[in-house]
Amino acid sequence: MTDSIATMAADRKTFRRRLPLKLSFASVPVVAWLFLIVVMPNLLLIGTSFLKSSAGVIIFEPSLTNYARIWNSAGFWALLWRTLSFSFIACVFATIIAYPLAFYVGRVVGRNRALLTMLVVIPLWISLLMRIFAWRVILGQSGVLNAALVSSGILDAPSEAFLYSPTAVVIVFAYISVPFIFISTMGAVEKIPRDLFEASEDSGATAFQTFIHLVWPLTRRNLAIGFSLAFLVTVGDFVTPAMIGGIDGTTLGVVVSTQFGFANNWPYGAAVAVTLMLSVGLLLGVIIALCPSKGVMVGGESDQAGAPTANPATRLGRRLGALGYVAAIAYLYAPLAIIVLFSFNSANLQVFPVQGLTLHWYHELLQDQSLIEAARRSVVVAACVVSVSVVVGTGFALVVHYARLRGARFYEMAFALPIATPGVVLGIEMVLGTELFGIPSGITRIVVGQMSFVMPVTLLLLLVRLRRIDPSLMEASLDLGANRWQSFAYVLFPMIRGTIVASAFLGLTLSADDVMVTLFLSGGSPTLPIWVFNQMRFGFTPSVNAVFSLLLLACLLTVMAASWRNALKRARVPN
Amino acid sequence: MGTRETGPVLSLVGVSKTYEGAQKPALEKVSFSVKQGEFFSILGPSGSGKTTILRTVAGFEKPDNGQIVMDGDVMNAVPPFKRDVRTVFQSYALFPHLTVRENVEYPLRMRGEPKTSRRKKAEETLSLVELSTFADRLPHQLSGGQRQRAALARSIVSRPKLLLLDEPLAALDLRLRQQMQHTLVALQKELGIAFMYVTHDQGEALSMSDRVVVLHDGKIAQLATPREIYFAPQNEFVSRFVGRSNLVPIRFAPAGSGYAGTIEGISIAGLTSERGGTARMAIRYEAVQVKALNGADRSPDAVPGVVEDVLFLGTNCEVNVRCGGLSLIGTVPAARESTFVVGQPVQVGFDLVNTQVFYD
Repeated sequence: MTDSIATMAADRKTFRRRLPLKLSFASVPVVAWLFLIVVMPNLLLIGTSFLKSSAGVIIFEPSLTNYARIWNSAGFWALLWRTLSFSFIACVFATIIAYPLAFYVGRVVGRNRALLTMLVVIPLWISLLMRIFAWRVILGQSGVLNAALVSSGILDAPSEAFLYSPTAVVIVFAYISVPFIFISTMGAVEKIPRDLFEASEDSGATAFQTFIHLVWPLTRRNLAIGFSLAFLVTVGDFVTPAMIGGIDGTTLGVVVSTQFGFANNWPYGAAVAVTLMLSVGLLLGVIIALCPSKGVMVGGESDQAGAPTANPATRLGRRLGALGYVAAIAYLYAPLAIIVLFSFNSANLQVFPVQGLTLHWYHELLQDQSLIEAARRSVVVAACVVSVSVVVGTGFALVVHYARLRGARFYEMAFALPIATPGVVLGIEMVLGTELFGIPSGITRIVVGQMSFVMPVTLLLLLVRLRRIDPSLMEASLDLGANRWQSFAYVLFPMIRGTIVASAFLGLTLSADDVMVTLFLSGGSPTLPIWVFNQMRFGFTPSVNAVFSLLLLACLLTVMAASWRNALKRARVPN
Repeated sequence: MGTRETGPVLSLVGVSKTYEGAQKPALEKVSFSVKQGEFFSILGPSGSGKTTILRTVAGFEKPDNGQIVMDGDVMNAVPPFKRDVRTVFQSYALFPHLTVRENVEYPLRMRGEPKTSRRKKAEETLSLVELSTFADRLPHQLSGGQRQRAALARSIVSRPKLLLLDEPLAALDLRLRQQMQHTLVALQKELGIAFMYVTHDQGEALSMSDRVVVLHDGKIAQLATPREIYFAPQNEFVSRFVGRSNLVPIRFAPAGSGYAGTIEGISIAGLTSERGGTARMAIRYEAVQVKALNGADRSPDAVPGVVEDVLFLGTNCEVNVRCGGLSLIGTVPAARESTFVVGQPVQVGFDLVNTQVFYD
């Protein structure tokens, strides 16, 4: 008996070892995509970092020159330290704001939780450039903050200290990070069953003890994940330091982008990128290890998590929470509101008070041929990226989920890699990859580059949805005489349609807003955000405000359309 | 034992509660007491208010009116973590990130007991529920029955005066449920803790309890010992909810000095009353005697009928007999060969010793 079990186990082991070599037909495109878009660009980056460059021409001579240069450069280490500490400090500040906010929305608020969540998350969809630019308007020498301080008598003359400083970079990074940390933490806070709070209280724990022994252990992992996401986004952001940081606010992201830009030393830039990635990976690895998650929620705990009757907060706590929420929303939206306001301002300067209302800047946009062309290009790119991503992402999700690929988790991680790669690094990886295949810069290159991170978003969203679907539904359909195609068309597709549409909307905003990756790929044919970026670099016109306001409007309409669809569906199918 | 040994552990005095937005009150002027060391059950269908009682006693809900008294003190405003009661949740509510041992130590840790004594008490309690070998596992690595015992250990480790159990056996399979009933009773006797046990399963309530309160729409339908509730239900609701009874419409017509009862027009000997009119008689399945009808020897006070179906239940069979407009269920001892077949004409007699009559 025991013998036969032992041999069976041994059989299974060899079986498992043999299987990955035998690729099933369905997994071929998945593996091909992984190789072309994920593995190869990373290998290229690492490979390039060992080459040399002479007067802008890459010499194919493997060497450690670049790493030696990095190792011996005191400036590099100072810059690395600064880069990491900017993002770290910003994420810590963002955590201080977002964690209590998530607890308030996830546990204390009874009604309108979806709306309150949405309000915090919407800034993620809004053009990063706009958010950065808004802070420029606020912090600048003739900006809103200075104007307010001078007119209220706190300062005698406008200060130059706000803009072009490390503080400014940290403020903007924190601003960018809040929604990431919020949404990730919220996921954990919401999921704690109400029973556990009651059991803790029943065991004699005070509110503080319950937080330390129950809430923190169950939410720290999600917090660490949100923290890491925000960290990756900010560390790969070279636009903010370039526009806001000044000389003291430069980061390694800026260095990498200039090496692939006018400094034109790709191998050195690649080496810096690799070093940056390794340091970031190490740091985030430590952070995640410090926040272990233990145990698995066993089903059966009551689903009415956070039902309003068991409200843990006192009245005072609830008031404080509401006040904090309003303050956080003001922090998130005031900069955007200022931009919209100035887009109607007839004066040329971004200073309060508003001189008079005008549509002049919007009118000016219509006459700008280059802008209209850039906008048209953005639409074409977004349409291509979204349609390819939706088709490929849905197909891949079905393959990964239903073809029972060995190591589905591995595929998922591999696909998520481009999303987790800092923007600047992904940008140069895509430059290297498209260069190798001779894809010319312009729309084709942009589409390929953007697909590298839009497709995985679609794929991951769909995988999450597919895992939630009761597997017996498909079995029931097959059992009732429907073939695979019929089952897909009549059972599966209607259930995942909402997710497909939602991911398409998300892809649309991701594609239309992207600067980090697209900037490296567009060459002489900019998309709308790149056009705006160039405008901002080469001198400011208030019509930029108007562009941003229109983009904001488009984003809000998209988000509203997506959530309206969801609300409609929920209304039609009551749970 | 303390000096207040005679006083009740818990008293509810006229407790009422209406949930926000609800039309009907969940509890209406409920009063009862739980004695020290008593196994006290709250029995009722879902929505009868039994969980509300439990949550009010634990402190998760505040009563609108009335008082919760423990050890002579009114507890209405005392938060849950300062009450000397523990709850075994229906879902067990084990902390997923803590091992079984850490879960059991939790209440001791919260009141600041030193580690060594915590460890010792947890060890003792775990061996009490036979879970010592699983002390270092996480909740998701346990089976349903083991989780149940872990939750039990966590709530008794600090030896509260009163333990609240919220349908703790609902998620277990039949065999395990029966085993756990024995475990619970033994544990309760050993610890001397008063148990307040909430269930919708009359079998559980009757088999384990010293006293049972039956709830109906937020009001007490009956509060008595299991035997009284089983054999002398005070009203129609209790008789229908507890045990397995037929409710037979009867008619009392004047006869001599009193009234004689008829079922389906046939007068039944021994069924008499001081009141006339219609009523319903609750009669348990085992008091309904189904006999095969052989030729013409029908007893005068038996009702004729036809067998509609027979359920084989092991030790006995339940026979469903149609008598005109009436369906009656009676139990007969199970024989190796089936004694009744569907469509067979039978006569139904009544053992009137333990029947209750409810007048309209």
